[in-house]
Amino acid sequence: MRLPIMSGVATGAVAIALHPLFQGGAWFWTSLGIILTVTGVGMLATRYALPSRLVPVAQLAAVGVYLTAVFTGREAWARVVPTKDALLGLAGLAADGFTDIQRFAVPVPAGAGITLLTCSGVGLIAICVDFLAVRLRRAALAGLPLLSLFVVPASFLDDPLGWWTVVLGALGFLGLLVADGRERVGHWGRTVLVRRAPSFVAPRPADDPSALRLSGKRVGFTAIALAILLPSLLPTLEPDPLFGFGVGGGKGGSGSAISFPDPVANLRRELELPANSTVLTYLTSDNAPRYLRLYSLDVFDGEQWTMTKPTGRPEDRTSEGPLPPAPGQSPSVPAAPVTTRISVSDEVRDLKFLPLPYPPGTIRIDGDWRPDRDTLMVFSHSDTAGGVDYEVVSTEPKPTAAMLKSAGQAPEEIRRRYLALPDDLPSELRRLAQEQTGEGTTPYEKALLLQEFFTTTGGFTYSLATQGHNGSALLDFLFFSKSGYCEQFAASMAVLARTLGIPSRVAIGYTGGASLSGRWNVRAHDSHAWPELYFEGAGWLRFEPTPAGPTGQASASRPFYTYPEVLTDAGDEPSATPSAGPTGAGASSGPSAARRNPAFDRESGGAPLLVDEGMPTAAKAGIGTALAVLTLLIPALIGHMTRRRRRRLYSRPSGPVRESSAAAGVTAVRADRDRTAEAAVSAAWAELDDALCDYGMVREPSESPRALARRLARQYGFDAEATASVTRIAAAVERLLFARTPGETGPLGEDVRRVRRALAAAVSRGRRIRAVLFPPSTLLRIRTAGARMLDGFDRLGNIRIRLPARRDA
Amino acid sequence: MAVTHDVSPRLDDLVATAHRIREAIESVIEGKSDVIRLTLTVLLAEGHLLIEDVPGVGKTMLAKALARSIDCPVRRVQFTPDLLPSDITGVSAYNQQTREFEFKPGPVFANIVVGDEINRASPKTQSALLECMGEHQVTVDGTTYPLDAPFMVIATQNPIEMEGTYPLPEAQRDRFTARIAMGYPEPAAELEMLDVHGAASPIDKLEPVATTAEVRALIEAVRGVYVSQPIKKYAIDLVTATRHSPDLRLGASPRSTLQLVRAARAHAALAGRDYVIPDDLQELCLPVLAHRLLPSVEAQGQRRPPEQVITELVRRVPVPEAQAR
Repeated sequence: MRLPIMSGVATGAVAIALHPLFQGGAWFWTSLGIILTVTGVGMLATRYALPSRLVPVAQLAAVGVYLTAVFTGREAWARVVPTKDALLGLAGLAADGFTDIQRFAVPVPAGAGITLLTCSGVGLIAICVDFLAVRLRRAALAGLPLLSLFVVPASFLDDPLGWWTVVLGALGFLGLLVADGRERVGHWGRTVLVRRAPSFVAPRPADDPSALRLSGKRVGFTAIALAILLPSLLPTLEPDPLFGFGVGGGKGGSGSAISFPDPVANLRRELELPANSTVLTYLTSDNAPRYLRLYSLDVFDGEQWTMTKPTGRPEDRTSEGPLPPAPGQSPSVPAAPVTTRISVSDEVRDLKFLPLPYPPGTIRIDGDWRPDRDTLMVFSHSDTAGGVDYEVVSTEPKPTAAMLKSAGQAPEEIRRRYLALPDDLPSELRRLAQEQTGEGTTPYEKALLLQEFFTTTGGFTYSLATQGHNGSALLDFLFFSKSGYCEQFAASMAVLARTLGIPSRVAIGYTGGASLSGRWNVRAHDSHAWPELYFEGAGWLRFEPTPAGPTGQASASRPFYTYPEVLTDAGDEPSATPSAGPTGAGASSGPSAARRNPAFDRESGGAPLLVDEGMPTAAKAGIGTALAVLTLLIPALIGHMTRRRRRRLYSRPSGPVRESSAAAGVTAVRADRDRTAEAAVSAAWAELDDALCDYGMVREPSESPRALARRLARQYGFDAEATASVTRIAAAVERLLFARTPGETGPLGEDVRRVRRALAAAVSRGRRIRAVLFPPSTLLRIRTAGARMLDGFDRLGNIRIRLPARRDA
Repeated sequence: MAVTHDVSPRLDDLVATAHRIREAIESVIEGKSDVIRLTLTVLLAEGHLLIEDVPGVGKTMLAKALARSIDCPVRRVQFTPDLLPSDITGVSAYNQQTREFEFKPGPVFANIVVGDEINRASPKTQSALLECMGEHQVTVDGTTYPLDAPFMVIATQNPIEMEGTYPLPEAQRDRFTARIAMGYPEPAAELEMLDVHGAASPIDKLEPVATTAEVRALIEAVRGVYVSQPIKKYAIDLVTATRHSPDLRLGASPRSTLQLVRAARAHAALAGRDYVIPDDLQELCLPVLAHRLLPSVEAQGQRRPPEQVITELVRRVPVPEAQAR
């Protein structure tokens, strides 16, 4: 009976790990209900010895009834028995749930559909666990379905799972294993519960079955504790690799391999700042706003845009001078250097990429920041951008329409990388691109027509509801719903550009923000995605397909070279300030940011990014060693502190009653003094006891203080002084313990010191060093504390479920 | 002794008097200070002493020396197989002049009674000693006569394997506070004995060094010795251990706990302490408990006498410990 219950408990414990996926707790109670249902059926089946093959069937039926009762009770017969309508209702809900899952990103609102799907899943897992652990008696195998439940939140969340969820899950599984072990022993006969004898009278034999169980449990608890603690103690291992499944992480920085941040996860992290707070402010030398780019996504796999992991070479560090030249930008195209001073808010956490105007030239910033040569993303594996002030000189190309129109073929490597499209790209996309850009003759004109298609002629609307992110979602956006936000627009335009042979990529970062008393102010809601298209000579140029203004991305602006007048005009000196400038930046693109786009969830995040060591290996090893040494010295430190505390106690004489207080109440003062003396003597005795333990000298439990003193003096050849000292200590303890009043005791500090010295003289040097560095007495005390904690666990484990014994005939 | 500074004056007297008695006895019996010390302990604990050993090691001499050194009535009873109970307690005889039965007190009506070779008398006679030892009174023909204090029975017996002996029943053994074995003297002590005893018995020259009243006061002082709660618990632990030991068929009785603590008080007082320490109990465990215990068949088979079992138990039972700070 224990086993089915423990299977339920284990499933429940692991299911708790799902909590970060949902808003609200309704899903949990419903899931708990389903676990209880499965467990209840399992218990009944065990009690009435149902054939094990039938049990999952019965449990499935029970789950069906439960789901009907909870979700479509109105259509069901007697609220419980599923009818056709009820089943249809369930199917409808499930479909809703799937749609919701497509639509929402975590944490999802726990609507009925999603709750239905969740608890069906949990119910199935519960049935699997019950079947494996109880019916097949393979409790260890039952870990697999539990693990699969555990993997769900781990793969959807970019933040590491909380350590306590791991502990809970592990404890649940451990409980299942323990229950299985007990049941197995139970099959041999009655389990013998041996009460632990507190006294010497009946010492527990070593082969006691409860001792075996105890050690099993201890191994389990120790394993869990080590799994949690060890990674955080080891200097080169982060806790993240253990629990930071999937994307995310990026908190690290001390290791040689850093976790590669997920752009959107980082964005979202900023977006979790208090409502629309300021992310950064900046000043530009020409007082015009600039789009600030963080990431550049270059790979389209048919469903989503992802980023090739950037590589930062040590010789390219920002401190080493100007960045490598922007790809494709030729000196023949006029360019104006613009200096931008950027201050990132110190509320921004874990941002490892610098928001920069493209193309950055020279960056003045403290720390180890390195650019990726191809994309000019600037990142760091040891520093974060939060609270950092820096200055960047960018050389913005100022191409004229003529220049762009006459741009030549892109080099082969650019074409290879930035024109790659999956083979199974729907042909409708190519056709659409051709149709929309038929009038254009040059890539530049086609690009402008594409932008035009998205912003005006295509009939697209700006909407924040997240759509799916697979290939069909792209088609859905382009042909049917025609509604999305910056990421759909940017992604679609980049894909269409590639079908037209224009190298393209998607940039993620911030729009220029709004001007506030002279400074440009970029808020969390100004986060944005836009396509960048490549034109030989000008390099990468940004386009803006997302509708701007109050009905679109408020602070978005079209670059000057995409205006129709530029198209017709020869344009010798185009205005650098677009019309949809900062003045229109009242509303915000907030909701686009408030929902994170799952399209970017599965970036190549988590892949280790190999960069050269920022810190010399020797220094790291040194720090690691120092940490390890410090950890090892903890017992010594504790021991030292204990000794100091005791020394304070026993070095204090229990002085005579003070005259002033004598009048107030001699009795009280005497009682107080007695307490002081007691503390002093106890401390001295404990110190002596510890010294014996530290020097490896045994002390019989039946040895009285006096006998101990006698033996020590004899065995270790104490001189007269030391003998007198140890006798004094023993006498004081004896009086404290056994006499009517403890009596007067002088300060015992000198005595304790003398005895310690005499004892130390009797042992080897190695023993003395060990006594200082790894005092066995302290280790013993730590062990005792641990044992006491484990005893607490044992008590939990010994709570027995009592069922009335069946008396058959 | 490390701590003597707050011993009451009475305790000082006690120590001095005890010292005098000890010296007096030691002038008669050489090299047996442990035995003499234990004898005094039993006297001050108001108990009775059983001296067991082969003939001729000075059992009777010890008893007589103790009796002599205290100025008090001493009677000696030689137990023989034909000794009758009335020979010990006394007898009511018809007085023809007064025409009444008159009680003729037996040898128990003394402060110190030396029962020589007690296990040679029949069990009936042995048990006549029970009432007087346990309750300090004698009942003859329905009349109860109280015995004078202090009252101490010092019985000697030959080892039970010897010929012509009746083993003491457990009930009676339990009434003796302690049993000691004299043991053969050291060669040096024996040589000294030859020199001293060669001419005349030194016991004849022994003068009393203490009075009955003094001994009574000493006993009173011993009663005031402090026994702390942990010590009581320790005594119970020790006694309980004998009851749970697989090597013993019969453990120690609650009476023995009482006598153990009482003897420990006397032991502490003789050491000039007004409180009992675990060492007192440890030292007394063997003489106070060993003669009450019956070894189990297994222990007998392994030739493990109760003495050895007790020594092991004492080594296992933890002493009261100070709280670690």
